[in-house]
Amino acid sequence: MAEDALLAEMQALREKVAGITGTAVASLDGLIVREDTGGVNPDNLAALSATWLSIAQRMSNEVGQGVLREAMTRSSRGSVAIYAIGGRAVLVVIGDEGLDTDRLRRECQPALDAMRVLIAGDSPHAQAH
Amino acid sequence: MSTADPADAAGPAGRAGPEDGGLEGGIRRYAGAGSSCALRVAGNPGGIIFLADGGICGCQTPGAPGLEVILLRSGRLTEADWEAAFSSAAAGGRSLTEELVRRDLLGAGEAEALLRTALADAIFAVLAGRVDGWAEAAADCPMPLAPPARPGWLLGESIRRRQALAALAGPPVSPRDRVTAASPGAWRQAASWPDAGQLELLGLCNGRRTVRDLAFARGSGLYATLLELARLRDRGLVAIAADGAESVSPSRSSGIPSDAGESDRTVAGLPGRHADHASGTPRTGTAGRRYLAAGIQLLRPRSSGSALPGGHRDPPS
Repeated sequence: MAEDALLAEMQALREKVAGITGTAVASLDGLIVREDTGGVNPDNLAALSATWLSIAQRMSNEVGQGVLREAMTRSSRGSVAIYAIGGRAVLVVIGDEGLDTDRLRRECQPALDAMRVLIAGDSPHAQAH
Repeated sequence: MSTADPADAAGPAGRAGPEDGGLEGGIRRYAGAGSSCALRVAGNPGGIIFLADGGICGCQTPGAPGLEVILLRSGRLTEADWEAAFSSAAAGGRSLTEELVRRDLLGAGEAEALLRTALADAIFAVLAGRVDGWAEAAADCPMPLAPPARPGWLLGESIRRRQALAALAGPPVSPRDRVTAASPGAWRQAASWPDAGQLELLGLCNGRRTVRDLAFARGSGLYATLLELARLRDRGLVAIAADGAESVSPSRSSGIPSDAGESDRTVAGLPGRHADHASGTPRTGTAGRRYLAAGIQLLRPRSSGSALPGGHRDPPS
Protein backbone atom coordinates (compact mmCIF):
# COMPACT_ATOMS: atom_id res chain seq x y z
CA MET A 1 0.00 0.00 0.00
CA ALA A 2 1.09 3.53 -0.51
CA GLU A 3 1.43 3.91 3.22
CA ASP A 4 3.33 7.14 2.92
CA ALA A 5 0.52 8.51 0.78
CA LEU A 6 -1.95 7.49 3.47
CA LEU A 7 0.17 9.11 6.15
CA ALA A 8 0.47 12.20 3.98
CA GLU A 9 -3.33 12.40 3.78
CA MET A 10 -3.58 12.11 7.56
CA GLN A 11 -0.95 14.78 8.12
CA ALA A 12 -2.54 17.06 5.54
CA LEU A 13 -5.80 16.82 7.45
CA ARG A 14 -3.99 17.76 10.66
CA GLU A 15 -2.43 20.73 8.86
CA LYS A 16 -5.76 21.96 7.56
CA VAL A 17 -7.87 21.69 10.70
CA ALA A 18 -6.97 23.64 13.80
CA GLY A 19 -7.02 21.57 16.94
CA ILE A 20 -6.23 18.13 15.52
CA THR A 21 -3.58 16.62 17.76
CA GLY A 22 -3.41 13.21 16.16
CA THR A 23 -4.88 10.84 13.61
CA ALA A 24 -4.83 7.12 12.98
CA VAL A 25 -6.23 4.66 10.48
CA ALA A 26 -7.22 1.23 11.76
CA SER A 27 -8.58 -1.85 10.09
CA LEU A 28 -12.07 -2.98 10.98
CA ASP A 29 -10.72 -5.76 13.12
CA GLY A 30 -8.86 -3.31 15.27
CA LEU A 31 -5.32 -3.34 13.95
CA ILE A 32 -3.40 -0.17 13.36
CA VAL A 33 -2.69 0.58 9.72
CA ARG A 34 -1.03 3.97 10.02
CA GLU A 35 -0.72 6.33 12.93
CA ASP A 36 0.21 9.91 13.60
CA THR A 37 -1.16 10.06 17.11
CA GLY A 38 1.44 12.18 18.82
CA GLY A 39 1.74 10.04 21.92
CA VAL A 40 -1.56 8.21 22.24
CA ASN A 41 -1.10 4.45 22.21
CA PRO A 42 -2.00 3.52 18.63
CA ASP A 43 -2.78 -0.13 19.29
CA ASN A 44 -5.31 0.63 21.98
CA LEU A 45 -6.73 3.38 19.81
CA ALA A 46 -7.14 1.03 16.86
CA ALA A 47 -8.93 -1.66 18.85
CA LEU A 48 -11.27 0.82 20.50
CA SER A 49 -12.00 2.60 17.23
CA ALA A 50 -13.01 -0.57 15.44
CA THR A 51 -15.31 -1.48 18.30
CA TRP A 52 -16.71 2.02 18.47
CA LEU A 53 -17.36 2.17 14.72
CA SER A 54 -19.23 -1.12 14.84
CA ILE A 55 -21.39 0.04 17.74
CA ALA A 56 -22.01 3.46 16.23
CA GLN A 57 -23.07 1.94 12.92
CA ARG A 58 -25.42 -0.42 14.73
CA MET A 59 -26.86 2.51 16.64
CA SER A 60 -27.50 4.41 13.41
CA ASN A 61 -29.20 1.36 11.96
CA GLU A 62 -31.18 0.69 15.08
CA VAL A 63 -32.73 4.14 15.14
CA GLY A 64 -33.21 4.23 11.39
CA GLN A 65 -30.93 7.19 10.76
CA GLY A 66 -29.13 5.87 7.71
CA VAL A 67 -25.42 5.80 7.05
CA LEU A 68 -23.13 6.78 9.90
CA ARG A 69 -21.21 9.92 9.02
CA GLU A 70 -19.33 10.56 12.22
CA ALA A 71 -19.17 9.48 15.83
CA MET A 72 -17.66 11.84 18.34
CA THR A 73 -16.89 12.01 22.02
CA ARG A 74 -16.40 15.41 23.59
CA SER A 75 -14.58 15.51 26.88
CA SER A 76 -13.27 18.18 29.20
CA ARG A 77 -9.90 18.09 27.48
CA GLY A 78 -10.81 17.50 23.88
CA SER A 79 -12.64 15.39 21.35
CA VAL A 80 -12.24 12.15 19.46
CA ALA A 81 -14.08 11.49 16.22
CA ILE A 82 -14.22 8.45 13.98
CA TYR A 83 -15.21 8.06 10.35
CA ALA A 84 -15.65 4.95 8.27
CA ILE A 85 -13.26 4.74 5.33
CA GLY A 86 -15.51 2.93 2.92
CA GLY A 87 -16.23 -0.50 4.36
CA ARG A 88 -12.63 -1.30 5.11
CA ALA A 89 -11.15 0.90 7.78
CA VAL A 90 -11.77 3.64 10.28
CA LEU A 91 -10.17 7.06 10.56
CA VAL A 92 -9.67 8.34 14.09
CA VAL A 93 -9.20 12.05 14.70
CA ILE A 94 -8.06 13.30 18.10
CA GLY A 95 -8.51 16.96 18.90
CA ASP A 96 -7.99 19.40 21.70
CA GLU A 97 -10.65 21.63 23.27
CA GLY A 98 -10.48 24.04 20.36
CA LEU A 99 -10.92 21.48 17.59
CA ASP A 100 -12.53 23.23 14.63
CA THR A 101 -15.35 20.75 14.10
CA ASP A 102 -16.93 22.73 11.26
CA ARG A 103 -13.73 22.67 9.28
CA LEU A 104 -13.09 19.06 10.24
CA ARG A 105 -16.39 18.04 8.69
CA ARG A 106 -15.64 20.03 5.55
CA GLU A 107 -12.13 18.72 5.13
CA CYS A 108 -12.81 15.15 6.19
CA GLN A 109 -14.86 14.04 3.22
CA PRO A 110 -12.23 14.61 0.53
CA ALA A 111 -9.62 13.12 2.84
CA LEU A 112 -11.78 10.04 3.40
CA ASP A 113 -12.34 9.69 -0.33
CA ALA A 114 -8.60 9.81 -0.97
CA MET A 115 -7.91 7.33 1.82
CA ARG A 116 -10.56 4.99 0.53
CA VAL A 117 -8.92 4.98 -2.90
CA LEU A 118 -5.48 4.39 -1.38
CA ILE A 119 -6.71 1.52 0.74
CA ALA A 120 -8.81 -0.02 -2.04
CA GLY A 121 -5.82 0.20 -4.34
CA ASP A 122 -3.92 -1.97 -1.92
CA SER A 123 -6.54 -4.65 -1.48
CA PRO A 124 -6.04 -8.00 -3.25
CA HIS A 125 -9.39 -7.47 -4.95
CA ALA A 126 -8.32 -4.17 -6.45
CA GLN A 127 -4.91 -5.48 -7.45
CA ALA A 128 -6.56 -8.30 -9.36
CA HIS A 129 -8.24 -5.79 -11.67
CA MET B 1 -29.83 38.98 20.10
CA SER B 2 -30.47 38.75 16.40
CA THR B 3 -30.87 35.27 15.08
CA ALA B 4 -30.39 35.84 11.39
CA ASP B 5 -29.30 32.68 9.65
CA PRO B 6 -26.39 33.08 7.27
CA ALA B 7 -28.14 30.75 4.90
CA ASP B 8 -30.97 33.18 4.35
CA ALA B 9 -29.32 36.43 5.31
CA ALA B 10 -27.63 37.68 2.20
CA GLY B 11 -27.69 41.27 3.35
CA PRO B 12 -25.66 41.59 6.53
CA ALA B 13 -22.60 39.77 5.28
CA GLY B 14 -19.18 40.91 4.25
CA ARG B 15 -15.97 39.90 2.68
CA ALA B 16 -12.49 40.64 3.79
CA GLY B 17 -11.73 43.24 1.17
CA PRO B 18 -9.84 46.33 2.26
CA GLU B 19 -12.25 48.61 0.42
CA ASP B 20 -14.75 48.41 3.25
CA GLY B 21 -12.26 48.13 6.06
CA GLY B 22 -12.33 44.35 6.14
CA LEU B 23 -13.68 42.58 9.17
CA GLU B 24 -12.58 45.41 11.43
CA GLY B 25 -14.67 47.79 9.39
CA GLY B 26 -17.61 45.42 9.52
CA ILE B 27 -17.39 45.13 13.30
CA ARG B 28 -17.21 48.90 13.65
CA ARG B 29 -20.32 49.30 11.50
CA TYR B 30 -22.27 46.73 13.51
CA ALA B 31 -21.08 48.34 16.72
CA GLY B 32 -21.96 51.80 15.46
CA ALA B 33 -25.50 50.60 14.80
CA GLY B 34 -25.76 49.30 18.37
CA SER B 35 -26.27 45.76 17.08
CA SER B 36 -26.81 42.67 19.18
CA CYS B 37 -25.95 39.69 17.05
CA ALA B 38 -23.40 37.01 16.28
CA LEU B 39 -21.01 37.24 13.35
CA ARG B 40 -19.65 34.00 12.00
CA VAL B 41 -16.24 34.68 10.52
CA ALA B 42 -15.09 32.34 7.78
CA GLY B 43 -11.37 31.85 7.47
CA ASN B 44 -8.51 30.34 9.34
CA PRO B 45 -8.94 30.11 12.26
CA GLY B 46 -12.20 32.02 11.90
CA GLY B 47 -14.71 32.05 14.70
CA ILE B 48 -17.86 33.66 16.00
CA ILE B 49 -17.91 37.18 17.38
CA PHE B 50 -20.80 38.10 19.67
CA LEU B 51 -22.05 41.66 19.92
CA ALA B 52 -24.41 43.04 22.55
CA ASP B 53 -25.79 46.57 22.30
CA GLY B 54 -22.91 47.57 20.05
CA GLY B 55 -20.24 46.12 22.32
CA ILE B 56 -18.36 42.85 21.92
CA CYS B 57 -19.32 40.38 24.62
CA GLY B 58 -17.64 37.22 23.41
CA CYS B 59 -15.64 35.47 20.72
CA GLN B 60 -15.30 31.76 20.11
CA THR B 61 -12.48 30.61 17.87
CA PRO B 62 -10.44 27.47 17.38
CA GLY B 63 -7.44 29.77 17.29
CA ALA B 64 -7.25 30.76 20.94
CA PRO B 65 -8.18 29.09 24.23
CA GLY B 66 -11.35 30.25 25.88
CA LEU B 67 -11.98 30.76 29.56
CA GLU B 68 -12.72 27.10 30.23
CA VAL B 69 -9.42 25.96 28.77
CA ILE B 70 -7.51 28.71 30.54
CA LEU B 71 -9.02 27.87 33.91
CA LEU B 72 -8.81 24.09 33.64
CA ARG B 73 -5.52 23.61 31.84
CA SER B 74 -3.76 26.07 34.10
CA GLY B 75 -5.09 24.24 37.15
CA ARG B 76 -6.89 27.33 38.36
CA LEU B 77 -10.09 25.28 38.65
CA THR B 78 -10.62 21.56 38.94
CA GLU B 79 -12.73 19.77 36.39
CA ALA B 80 -15.08 18.68 39.17
CA ASP B 81 -15.65 22.31 40.21
CA TRP B 82 -16.21 23.35 36.63
CA GLU B 83 -18.66 20.54 35.92
CA ALA B 84 -20.59 21.24 39.11
CA ALA B 85 -20.83 24.92 38.27
CA PHE B 86 -21.84 24.14 34.70
CA SER B 87 -24.64 21.81 35.81
CA SER B 88 -25.87 24.20 38.46
CA ALA B 89 -25.84 27.17 36.08
CA ALA B 90 -27.80 25.22 33.48
CA ALA B 91 -30.33 24.05 36.04
CA GLY B 92 -30.70 27.48 37.60
CA GLY B 93 -30.82 29.43 34.36
CA ARG B 94 -27.78 31.47 35.38
CA SER B 95 -24.73 32.29 33.33
CA LEU B 96 -21.73 30.11 34.03
CA THR B 97 -19.69 33.13 35.03
CA GLU B 98 -22.27 34.10 37.64
CA GLU B 99 -22.27 30.57 38.96
CA LEU B 100 -18.48 30.46 39.25
CA VAL B 101 -18.59 33.68 41.24
CA ARG B 102 -21.52 32.47 43.34
CA ARG B 103 -19.52 29.40 44.31
CA ASP B 104 -16.49 31.50 45.22
CA LEU B 105 -14.47 29.76 42.57
CA LEU B 106 -13.70 33.13 41.01
CA GLY B 107 -13.98 36.66 42.31
CA ALA B 108 -16.37 38.91 40.42
CA GLY B 109 -13.59 41.19 39.27
CA GLU B 110 -11.37 38.25 38.48
CA ALA B 111 -14.04 36.63 36.31
CA GLU B 112 -14.52 39.82 34.35
CA ALA B 113 -10.79 40.34 33.94
CA LEU B 114 -10.26 36.78 32.75
CA LEU B 115 -13.16 37.00 30.31
CA ARG B 116 -11.89 40.33 28.99
CA THR B 117 -8.37 38.95 28.56
CA ALA B 118 -9.62 35.81 26.82
CA LEU B 119 -11.84 37.94 24.58
CA ALA B 120 -8.96 40.18 23.53
CA ASP B 121 -6.89 37.10 22.78
CA ALA B 122 -9.66 35.51 20.71
CA ILE B 123 -10.28 38.67 18.68
CA PHE B 124 -6.55 38.93 18.09
CA ALA B 125 -6.47 35.30 16.88
CA VAL B 126 -9.33 35.86 14.46
CA LEU B 127 -7.98 39.12 13.05
CA ALA B 128 -4.39 37.88 12.85
CA GLY B 129 -5.54 34.90 10.80
CA ARG B 130 -7.06 34.68 7.36
CA VAL B 131 -10.51 36.22 7.05
CA ASP B 132 -12.53 35.10 4.03
CA GLY B 133 -15.79 36.76 4.97
CA TRP B 134 -18.45 36.97 7.61
CA ALA B 135 -22.19 36.79 8.08
CA GLU B 136 -24.72 37.04 10.85
CA ALA B 137 -25.33 33.71 12.47
CA ALA B 138 -27.75 32.18 14.90
CA ALA B 139 -25.64 31.59 17.98
CA ASP B 140 -25.71 32.50 21.65
CA CYS B 141 -22.65 33.57 23.56
CA PRO B 142 -21.94 30.88 26.16
CA MET B 143 -20.10 33.17 28.59
CA PRO B 144 -20.87 36.80 27.77
CA LEU B 145 -18.70 39.56 29.13
CA ALA B 146 -20.76 42.10 31.04
CA PRO B 147 -20.53 44.93 30.36
CA PRO B 148 -19.37 44.21 26.81
CA ALA B 149 -15.99 45.46 25.68
CA ARG B 150 -15.75 48.54 23.51
CA PRO B 151 -14.98 47.42 19.94
CA GLY B 152 -12.55 50.31 19.50
CA TRP B 153 -10.45 49.09 22.40
CA LEU B 154 -10.51 45.46 21.28
CA LEU B 155 -9.66 46.24 17.67
CA GLY B 156 -6.94 48.65 18.72
CA GLU B 157 -5.49 46.07 21.08
CA SER B 158 -5.41 43.53 18.26
CA ILE B 159 -3.50 45.96 16.06
CA ARG B 160 -1.10 46.78 18.88
CA ARG B 161 -0.36 43.10 19.43
CA ARG B 162 0.30 42.47 15.77
CA GLN B 163 2.63 45.46 15.67
CA ALA B 164 4.43 44.27 18.79
CA LEU B 165 5.01 40.86 17.26
CA ALA B 166 6.18 42.38 13.99
CA ALA B 167 8.69 44.50 15.89
CA LEU B 168 10.37 41.50 17.51
CA ALA B 169 13.76 40.42 16.27
CA GLY B 170 13.87 37.55 13.81
CA PRO B 171 11.26 36.23 11.44
CA PRO B 172 7.65 36.76 12.49
CA VAL B 173 6.11 33.96 14.50
CA SER B 174 2.74 32.69 13.36
CA PRO B 175 0.18 30.79 15.45
CA ARG B 176 0.44 27.94 12.94
CA ASP B 177 4.21 27.58 13.18
CA ARG B 178 5.48 24.39 14.78
CA VAL B 179 7.93 24.57 17.61
CA THR B 180 10.75 22.26 18.64
CA ALA B 181 12.71 22.61 21.87
CA ALA B 182 16.48 22.74 21.61
CA SER B 183 18.38 19.98 23.33
CA PRO B 184 19.20 20.58 27.00
CA GLY B 185 22.82 20.90 25.90
CA ALA B 186 21.88 24.10 24.11
CA TRP B 187 20.23 25.41 27.25
CA ARG B 188 23.58 25.55 28.99
CA GLN B 189 24.78 27.96 26.34
CA ALA B 190 21.82 30.26 26.89
CA ALA B 191 22.38 33.42 28.89
CA SER B 192 20.08 32.19 31.62
CA TRP B 193 18.60 28.84 32.56
CA PRO B 194 14.88 28.51 31.71
CA ASP B 195 12.57 29.08 34.64
CA ALA B 196 9.92 26.57 35.71
CA GLY B 197 7.23 27.93 33.39
CA GLN B 198 9.61 27.97 30.46
CA LEU B 199 10.73 24.43 31.22
CA GLU B 200 7.11 23.34 31.18
CA LEU B 201 6.63 25.04 27.83
CA LEU B 202 9.84 23.56 26.42
CA GLY B 203 8.66 20.13 27.46
CA LEU B 204 5.64 20.56 25.22
CA CYS B 205 7.59 21.81 22.19
CA ASN B 206 7.89 18.50 20.38
CA GLY B 207 7.87 19.72 16.80
CA ARG B 208 4.29 18.57 16.27
CA ARG B 209 2.55 21.26 18.24
CA THR B 210 1.91 24.63 16.73
CA VAL B 211 2.08 27.84 18.75
CA ARG B 212 -1.70 27.69 18.91
CA ASP B 213 -1.57 24.07 20.14
CA LEU B 214 0.89 25.08 22.86
CA ALA B 215 -1.43 27.85 24.04
CA PHE B 216 -4.22 25.29 24.40
CA ALA B 217 -1.98 22.69 26.02
CA ARG B 218 -0.84 25.15 28.69
CA GLY B 219 -4.05 27.07 29.09
CA SER B 220 -2.35 30.35 28.33
CA GLY B 221 -3.21 33.07 25.86
CA LEU B 222 -2.19 32.84 22.23
CA TYR B 223 -0.50 36.23 22.24
CA ALA B 224 1.40 35.49 25.44
CA THR B 225 2.54 32.18 23.97
CA LEU B 226 3.66 33.84 20.74
CA LEU B 227 5.70 36.38 22.70
CA GLU B 228 7.24 33.80 24.99
CA LEU B 229 8.23 31.53 22.14
CA ALA B 230 9.75 34.40 20.18
CA ARG B 231 11.87 35.21 23.23
CA LEU B 232 12.86 31.59 23.72
CA ARG B 233 13.87 31.44 20.07
CA ASP B 234 16.06 34.48 20.55
CA ARG B 235 17.80 32.63 23.38
CA GLY B 236 18.33 29.59 21.19
CA LEU B 237 16.00 27.44 23.26
CA VAL B 238 13.47 26.61 20.55
CA ALA B 239 13.41 26.30 16.79
CA ILE B 240 10.30 27.55 15.05
CA ALA B 241 9.39 25.98 11.73
CA ALA B 242 7.26 28.07 9.41
CA ASP B 243 3.62 27.23 8.87
CA GLY B 244 3.24 23.93 7.08
CA ALA B 245 6.69 22.58 7.86
CA GLU B 246 7.17 19.86 10.41
CA SER B 247 10.51 19.55 12.09
CA VAL B 248 10.32 15.98 13.36
CA SER B 249 9.44 12.70 11.76
CA PRO B 250 5.87 12.41 12.85
CA SER B 251 5.10 8.79 13.05
CA ARG B 252 6.36 5.36 13.54
CA SER B 253 5.57 2.84 10.86
CA SER B 254 2.68 0.58 11.49
CA GLY B 255 5.10 -2.30 11.36
CA ILE B 256 3.32 -3.66 8.35
CA PRO B 257 5.76 -5.09 5.83
CA SER B 258 5.41 -3.36 2.51
CA ASP B 259 5.50 -6.67 0.71
CA ALA B 260 2.85 -8.16 2.91
CA GLY B 261 1.52 -11.31 1.38
CA GLU B 262 -1.98 -12.56 1.34
CA SER B 263 -1.56 -14.05 4.78
CA ASP B 264 -0.72 -10.60 6.13
CA ARG B 265 -4.07 -9.21 5.22
CA THR B 266 -7.07 -8.96 7.38
CA VAL B 267 -10.52 -9.89 6.29
CA ALA B 268 -11.07 -6.21 5.57
CA GLY B 269 -8.42 -6.34 2.94
CA LEU B 270 -6.00 -4.29 4.97
CA PRO B 271 -2.59 -5.42 6.08
CA GLY B 272 -2.15 -5.73 9.77
CA ARG B 273 -0.16 -7.36 12.50
CA HIS B 274 -1.23 -10.77 13.61
CA ALA B 275 -0.56 -10.83 17.29
CA ASP B 276 -3.47 -9.94 19.48
CA HIS B 277 -2.15 -7.29 21.85
CA ALA B 278 -3.76 -8.77 24.90
CA SER B 279 -3.26 -12.45 24.37
CA GLY B 280 -0.58 -12.79 21.75
CA THR B 281 -2.91 -14.91 19.67
CA PRO B 282 -3.87 -14.14 16.11
CA ARG B 283 -6.65 -11.63 15.76
CA THR B 284 -8.91 -12.68 12.97
CA GLY B 285 -12.34 -11.59 14.10
CA THR B 286 -14.78 -9.74 11.96
CA ALA B 287 -18.00 -9.97 13.92
CA GLY B 288 -19.20 -7.12 16.07
CA ARG B 289 -19.09 -9.37 19.10
CA ARG B 290 -15.37 -9.73 18.67
CA TYR B 291 -14.93 -5.97 18.33
CA LEU B 292 -16.87 -5.55 21.48
CA ALA B 293 -14.77 -8.13 23.30
CA ALA B 294 -11.58 -6.37 22.23
CA GLY B 295 -12.95 -3.04 23.36
CA ILE B 296 -14.12 -4.38 26.70
CA GLN B 297 -10.71 -5.93 27.24
CA LEU B 298 -9.18 -2.51 26.74
CA LEU B 299 -11.65 -0.87 29.04
CA ARG B 300 -10.83 -3.15 31.97
CA PRO B 301 -8.76 -1.55 34.73
CA ARG B 302 -5.09 -2.30 34.47
CA SER B 303 -5.20 -3.99 37.84
CA SER B 304 -7.31 -6.72 36.27
CA GLY B 305 -4.17 -8.06 34.67
CA SER B 306 -4.34 -6.54 31.21
CA ALA B 307 -1.01 -6.72 29.48
CA LEU B 308 -1.80 -3.57 27.55
CA PRO B 309 0.20 -0.45 28.10
CA GLY B 310 -1.46 2.74 29.24
CA GLY B 311 -3.31 4.90 26.81
CA HIS B 312 -0.75 7.67 26.78
CA ARG B 313 2.94 7.98 26.38
CA ASP B 314 5.19 10.80 27.31
CA PRO B 315 5.56 13.33 24.56
CA PRO B 316 8.54 12.57 22.37
CA SER B 317 11.63 14.35 23.54
